[in-house]
Amino acid sequence: VLSLEQVLISSRPRGLLETLPAYASLLCNFDPTIASFTGLAEAIRRFEGKLQPVRLSGETVEIATRYDGEDLANVAAATGLSRKAVIDLHTARDYLVYCVGFAPGFPYCGELDDRLSVPRRASPRSNVIAGSVAIAGRQTGIYPVASPGGWNIIGHTDVPLFDVKATPPARFKPGDRLRFVPG
Amino acid sequence: MIEIINSGPGRPGDLAASIQDLGRPGFERFGVPDGGAADWFSAAVANRLVGNRRDAALVEFTGMGASLLFHQDATIALAGASISGVHSFEGDPVWQSHRVAARQMVGFRKLDPGVRVYLAVRGGIDVPIVLGSRSLCERGHFGGGFGRRLRHGDALPIGDLIEDAPRTRPWPLGHRPAPWGPWEVRLIAGPHSDAFPPDALDRLTAVAALVTPFIDRVGLRIETPGLHLQGKEILTTPVTAGSVQVTPSGELIALLVDHPTTGGYPVIGTVIRADLPLLAQARPGDTIRFRAVDEAEAARALRRLEDWLEDH
Repeated sequence: VLSLEQVLISSRPRGLLETLPAYASLLCNFDPTIASFTGLAEAIRRFEGKLQPVRLSGETVEIATRYDGEDLANVAAATGLSRKAVIDLHTARDYLVYCVGFAPGFPYCGELDDRLSVPRRASPRSNVIAGSVAIAGRQTGIYPVASPGGWNIIGHTDVPLFDVKATPPARFKPGDRLRFVPG
Repeated sequence: MIEIINSGPGRPGDLAASIQDLGRPGFERFGVPDGGAADWFSAAVANRLVGNRRDAALVEFTGMGASLLFHQDATIALAGASISGVHSFEGDPVWQSHRVAARQMVGFRKLDPGVRVYLAVRGGIDVPIVLGSRSLCERGHFGGGFGRRLRHGDALPIGDLIEDAPRTRPWPLGHRPAPWGPWEVRLIAGPHSDAFPPDALDRLTAVAALVTPFIDRVGLRIETPGLHLQGKEILTTPVTAGSVQVTPSGELIALLVDHPTTGGYPVIGTVIRADLPLLAQARPGDTIRFRAVDEAEAARALRRLEDWLEDH
């Protein structure tokens, strides 16, 4: 997905306005007054089978996290692990940012250790505070701004993730790597 | 300067009104929705009527009105939903421009039919540009001048994004979108057609879909009585304004401009840009009939609206 996005950004097919990557898909916004759907689709398909894997060269960003989340006890109960084991498993590996979505700056990261996999909360919270570190399924993420949310909150961080005055405004972009460290 | 007066009893807190413009394309990869006026066409007409540039910011009122106290002479225009409980307008208030004198108060109470009405002031609302736009990004708590919806007492400065003279005549009847439902809304199949049975879109376009009370700038929840659509789970995927998601309970969510940039429900079809204004004006209880079209028809429909804007 990221390789295709890179060749599209460098080759700039006519009419293509913006691309947005996710796990296994790439959204291409285009101006239909400049390019036709079929023409642009053909231009994009020309790269099929010719893509080189992207080298993810970025460093791993450490996210200092207090494991004091509201759902930590529930996650421990649901997984049959101790709180400490939950924390150890969550901090044990680097995560890849697959996409940024849901809310400004929210990084969808994976993959979580299978043993930590728990479903979303049955009913979402109406207000999750900014900096909440959360897990759902094989994914983990951080709420960059206060918002409703259905993921299980296991901790909090003070690392700023979204700032309209920064360039780019989001701390993470697809392809970045991060690691949670207790503290 | 224009002052927002939150008149009338029983309206605590923020108004369902915000400052919007063309939105902020280019930041979706950072999780920031395009935003901007939900009914982009009515907003463009309102700006056109007062002679503004198309990127001038205006006020989007949703579901209810307010009063505005003008601290200077101004030319304003309204476009979009019909309004009632009007004061200080002469003639038909919507779809034409008006002169307003300093210290004059204009306002309205209710919107119906339609949900959103745009108030443009000649010169545009001059609030700071954040990430390329003056639009409020409610999820991100930024933009729109205040990082929130408008409130009683807010002061809106007037800018100078003027293109030409104000239009003195009303916007032609034939060049306005359908003012009320039932709405025919055109959509393009997919992108997740594979997640549904082959006849799913045919079945959807055969029924009258019903708009539920759950409508906002993120999207509309829509029921399909007598039809239970069932889609397979998909990996989190980018979505866009117009994406029609099918939830596990079989309900539809038609996304609008403040949609999250990614979603986890399969998308059965994508409403064409030319018909997003209809979705933005649909009221709870309205019926929608979806019609499947191809990309060429979508482009023609958009061209038609753009031609209407250029003609006047």
